Amino acid sequence: METARTDPAVLERLRERIRTLQAAPRALLSVLRTGLPPVDGLLPGGGFPLGQVVELWGEPASGRARLAFRAIAEAHRALRLAAWVDGPGTLYPPALPPLGIRLEQLLVVRPPEPRQLAWSALQLLRSGAFAAVGLDLSRTGVRLSPPESRRLVEAATRSGGLLFLLTPTEAPADGTLRLRLLATGPRGMRLEVVRSRQGGTSRAVEVPWQMLTPGGPSDVGAGPRGLDAPPLPVDPALPFRRARACTVRDGPIGIQGQRPGRDLPLPSFAQALGVAP
Amino acid sequence: MSPRVAYVHLPRFPVQRRVLEEPALAGQPLALVHEAKGALRVSFASGTAQREGIRAGMTLTAARALLPALRDGLHDASAEAGALSSLAEGFLRLSPAFMLSAPDGLWLDASAASLFGGEVGLLEKVDAQARAAGYRARVALASELFTARALARFGAAPRSCVGPGDSGSALAALPLQALEDAPGVVASLRALGLSTLGELAALAPTQVISRLGAQGLRAQRLVRGQDEARLLPAVLPEVVEEVRTLEAPAESLEPLLFVLKSSLDRLSARLRGRQRAAVRLTLTLVLEPAGPVSIPLALARPTTEPKLLLDLVRHRLEPVRLDAPVATVVLTVDESSEDRGQQGVLGDAPAGDAALETVLARLATALGPAALGSPVLADDHRPEAAHAPGPFRPPRREPGMFAEARRASPTPPPVPDWQLERPVRLLPGEGEPLEVELDALGALRSARVHGRRRMVLAVAGPERLGGHWWSESPFQRDYYRVHFEGLGPAWVYRRAGGGGFYLHGLFD
Repeated sequence: METARTDPAVLERLRERIRTLQAAPRALLSVLRTGLPPVDGLLPGGGFPLGQVVELWGEPASGRARLAFRAIAEAHRALRLAAWVDGPGTLYPPALPPLGIRLEQLLVVRPPEPRQLAWSALQLLRSGAFAAVGLDLSRTGVRLSPPESRRLVEAATRSGGLLFLLTPTEAPADGTLRLRLLATGPRGMRLEVVRSRQGGTSRAVEVPWQMLTPGGPSDVGAGPRGLDAPPLPVDPALPFRRARACTVRDGPIGIQGQRPGRDLPLPSFAQALGVAP
Repeated sequence: MSPRVAYVHLPRFPVQRRVLEEPALAGQPLALVHEAKGALRVSFASGTAQREGIRAGMTLTAARALLPALRDGLHDASAEAGALSSLAEGFLRLSPAFMLSAPDGLWLDASAASLFGGEVGLLEKVDAQARAAGYRARVALASELFTARALARFGAAPRSCVGPGDSGSALAALPLQALEDAPGVVASLRALGLSTLGELAALAPTQVISRLGAQGLRAQRLVRGQDEARLLPAVLPEVVEEVRTLEAPAESLEPLLFVLKSSLDRLSARLRGRQRAAVRLTLTLVLEPAGPVSIPLALARPTTEPKLLLDLVRHRLEPVRLDAPVATVVLTVDESSEDRGQQGVLGDAPAGDAALETVLARLATALGPAALGSPVLADDHRPEAAHAPGPFRPPRREPGMFAEARRASPTPPPVPDWQLERPVRLLPGEGEPLEVELDALGALRSARVHGRRRMVLAVAGPERLGGHWWSESPFQRDYYRVHFEGLGPAWVYRRAGGGGFYLHGLFD
């Protein structure tokens, strides 16, 4: 024991072991893991703890929603339900199945009035029927009042549900666990624990973008499909030019497998037919 | 073999119903009166009133002279018949058809008794259902309509079951009063010194026909178990509706909710009897004197749970301000769907399902049914049309103690490649036009996004999406993933043919 106290390597091994055990699947849900090793390792309980309000605070493209949905996917795998209160009305369902979301187990609520956002989330949480509820306040102009925040925290604690609170940079709320997300460039984003009851405040990790969507595109180091691709031959007549482009992707890998020729101009047949251009 | 029928006798049904609606009347002497020849006469009297000598047909004045503390109310025969029919609809869970015997009974087709543990089991279930609805009932099952009714009304046991061919002996001990449809015959038989149905049955038919005529012979055939009448199934009303006129107009929510609770109980029982579940209801409150106020109630999922419906109504009524007292309450089922039900097993915890139903109904009512649902992917090339809202119908929880262990998480279907490159947020319509700045070589340098000019750090793409060339609104767009400084990756497209740039999504 004395050796363990003094040897940092032993301590590190023990920490690693605890993280591994915490990341192992359990029969009963107590946390929702994202499945992203750096994120789960950063969070005090090895995942987002149920019964709390987790605030994901950052810019509208900083990866907050994908992070929340990665955790919700674990609830869906356990055949639990989840709800998403879509304040800005911008949730795009086709992007969710790659994150592990089962659309039939996801209730999307779009209240017509911004003042109904917090109320809707409160009702969903209080019902206890949803393992996780997302409340997206981005670009809604809504700032939760202290009583509203308190009610949400109480509802999450009593029902054992997890509330993801997506707040913009200019209007942080009062989440039990607050994570700051910051896009650091084309490689990824930075995730920092700003507030936590279980400790770990000020700890931060870098998360590559391609990690958020499993199997998704990598914009860096992805060869012909990424930023490292050779530039396209450009048409000098057009004012816009892709300086760093991949090969043009069309038909066979376009949306829903449409055929080439419908989306691109057909090649000239003049040469093949022996007709002068 | 003759069809089997059960009779449900609800002693003094109108009085029972009145007490059920006004529990304060329980144990009080009560008489329901109707107007006949300019005088109010007693139609039904409660047990307490009968013990004090109040009888049907007596004038209200005479009844009050006997019992000054007598409470009274108007007897509305058509409303009572409607209430009896509503109650009978609830029995359709146990029987394929019913026939009313107003004012206080009904016959049920007992041909489905084998589904409920035999005829005795069916009687127990009928009795239990009547009790659950708040009524005291006596039930009898036989092969003839007359036998079943006579035993239920005048038999010694509250539940009796007579086998085929045993009707004569079962009826023998009953008083002549059981021949309710032939009062003349009963009077004649009494004058002859007869007192039971068995004595009538024992007479020679020639004697009966010579003294009492055809009516007497018919009565004798009935008491011998030779009733040939058959059950004529009642026709159900097309619209399921419960109307309730309040004794005193309600001025606050509490008495109104009390009335609504009993109405919803009846409505739910009727729906369950029809194997239907409510999808949309309308609550109409007739104000005095302002007139009717309609409140639509939309349910997210079909239900027959009265508790859930009451919770929904309470939630809907709480913010409503009424200008005048409520005199009448009308609940109408506007839309219903098939109720397949769910068989409960020991160890189930239906509380979770009920909680889900409650919150869905509450949200649907407060926000409108279009505000919630489960997204469904649509087969469309245009990104903004590649999904549509659908109803939220999560997989049902499998009942049983070991359901958790039995159910396996099904493997989700494979995800097509194109979905991997879609943003989590898509701006409405065709997106927001972007004011971009190009460098000298024509590359994107910056753009004004969300009110701020942001540097472009990287661009990946394009992914060319096009379609609808066969329609009047074709589109061709080159989509790029553009990394903006301090924002993260965004989905930007440029219209084909040198068009402008648009911000269409955010990879949040």
